[in-house]
Amino acid sequence: MQAGLSTKNAPSPSVVLPHYAAGAIFFIIASVLLIFASHDLANTYIGPKILALTHIMVLGWVTIIIFGALYQLIPVVMEVKLFSEPLAHISFYSMIIGTVLLSYSFWNNYIGKTIYMEIGGGLIFLSVILFSVNVLFSALKTTNKTIENTFIVTAGGWLLLTVSLGILITMNLVFHFIPKTNLELLRIHVHFGIVGWFMMLIIGVASTLLPMFFISHKLNKQYLKFSYFLTNGGLIILAVLLYFDVNMWLKGAAGLIVLAGIIFFIKYNYDAYKKRLRKKLDIGMKLSVFAFIPLFLTLLFGILTVLNLDFLSKIQTSINTAYGVSLIFGFFTALILGQMYKTLPFIVWLKMYQDKVGKFKIPMPAHIYSEKVADWHYYSFLVAIFTLLIGIFAKESIIIQVSAAAFIITSVLYAYNTYKILFHKDQSEPLETK
Amino acid sequence: MLDNLSITEKQILERLKTIPDPEVEVNIVDLGLIYEIHHNEEEKSIHVVMTLSARGCPVGDTIMQHVETVVKAFLPEYDVKVELTWEPQWTPEMITPDGKAQLNM
Repeated sequence: MQAGLSTKNAPSPSVVLPHYAAGAIFFIIASVLLIFASHDLANTYIGPKILALTHIMVLGWVTIIIFGALYQLIPVVMEVKLFSEPLAHISFYSMIIGTVLLSYSFWNNYIGKTIYMEIGGGLIFLSVILFSVNVLFSALKTTNKTIENTFIVTAGGWLLLTVSLGILITMNLVFHFIPKTNLELLRIHVHFGIVGWFMMLIIGVASTLLPMFFISHKLNKQYLKFSYFLTNGGLIILAVLLYFDVNMWLKGAAGLIVLAGIIFFIKYNYDAYKKRLRKKLDIGMKLSVFAFIPLFLTLLFGILTVLNLDFLSKIQTSINTAYGVSLIFGFFTALILGQMYKTLPFIVWLKMYQDKVGKFKIPMPAHIYSEKVADWHYYSFLVAIFTLLIGIFAKESIIIQVSAAAFIITSVLYAYNTYKILFHKDQSEPLETK
Repeated sequence: MLDNLSITEKQILERLKTIPDPEVEVNIVDLGLIYEIHHNEEEKSIHVVMTLSARGCPVGDTIMQHVETVVKAFLPEYDVKVELTWEPQWTPEMITPDGKAQLNM
């Protein structure tokens, strides 16, 4: 069979599926913990509970699902086999245990002092190294060097840098070998993680998947190339300026370069949306399209965070918190909720039915989960994210608790559908003979 | 490309209309994915040339397997070859009027 086909390259489902199963559980845990962190979130953007919650969300929920989805996607978009399945298994368990230990340590305010922090951080570092090795060595084999693939590989490099800096920060707490405060280093760590890892990866993956699912053609790839150079260039400049603490206007200018890069990415996908063949969006695409609203909010709050304007000083803490929240609980979460429906049903469907197509009557991928449940969690998610932002600006923990309740409903319904797909039983029937 | 089909080739094309693209749930013939069908009675062979709507389509392999299964079921004594091509690249203009109606285009 010709090159360019993906299924033969696809990894064993046992590599991919546990990521979706674990991610759904971490999302429920984070939603429940949001109730207990509501008081902190109403008043500050940093603290033991917020650090724990952030790491459960970005590692346990977002990163684990992204890892799993990428193990499936890399062979598809790069047209190669995954470099190593055993490495992917070790990386998965290492990330799970590491995230639990690290978050436990943060929640109890044990920064840099406990065995949980050291082992947890070490395991996450190991997981990330194994993941990056897998991505980079898989990418080396590909002959399909597209700009989307370059984004994905570059993201792997930034992830390594992010985690390395995270480890340096915790070591610096004890040894003080970097003449900078940890808050200064933390800002660089956060921007490496947010822009370098997550944004870079999401630009690469979304620009591959969204036009494919919209069935859009004749898109201008120059937009993605501009996006690549602007986001990477802007991030490098921003990191240097943050390290030397140069005045806020220069930092703002670097932020604007990154912003311009992200706008080119949005433009590319907006064109895909406008040129789409499928006018009616299914639930997965509805959530994915909605994700761009919290992305706009993230960009707005991000610029205001960097500029730190005097006349906004009374609500500056809320702006900083809303920056992270609209990105992690808004943009990333909406995209994952949506793209789960565009990836997991296909993976399970292929595993169950690929040898039965044409020989038996089989359900379609869209029929192996409950669309009604997905619709419910679409609306509960809208309530959850907007209530959370209102609660942050109102500085009212009770409003954040209402949001947490909506997030719990969202995460449980999402988990219901995830597990319904994962435990799907063979529903093939004999073909009717005429 | 699908002009001047023989009776057998037309019958094959009709049977291929039972194969949906699992993502859009429109059959692959009306989506315009089938480029050529060649029936060779002497060699007892069927050759189908087709494309996919996107390079890296996750179910591409399965669709091609489906094509082979359906043709084999219709003509079991024939050797069936399904070939994937990216030339010419598929575009929405290749969708048939029936396919456009199903997609509400």
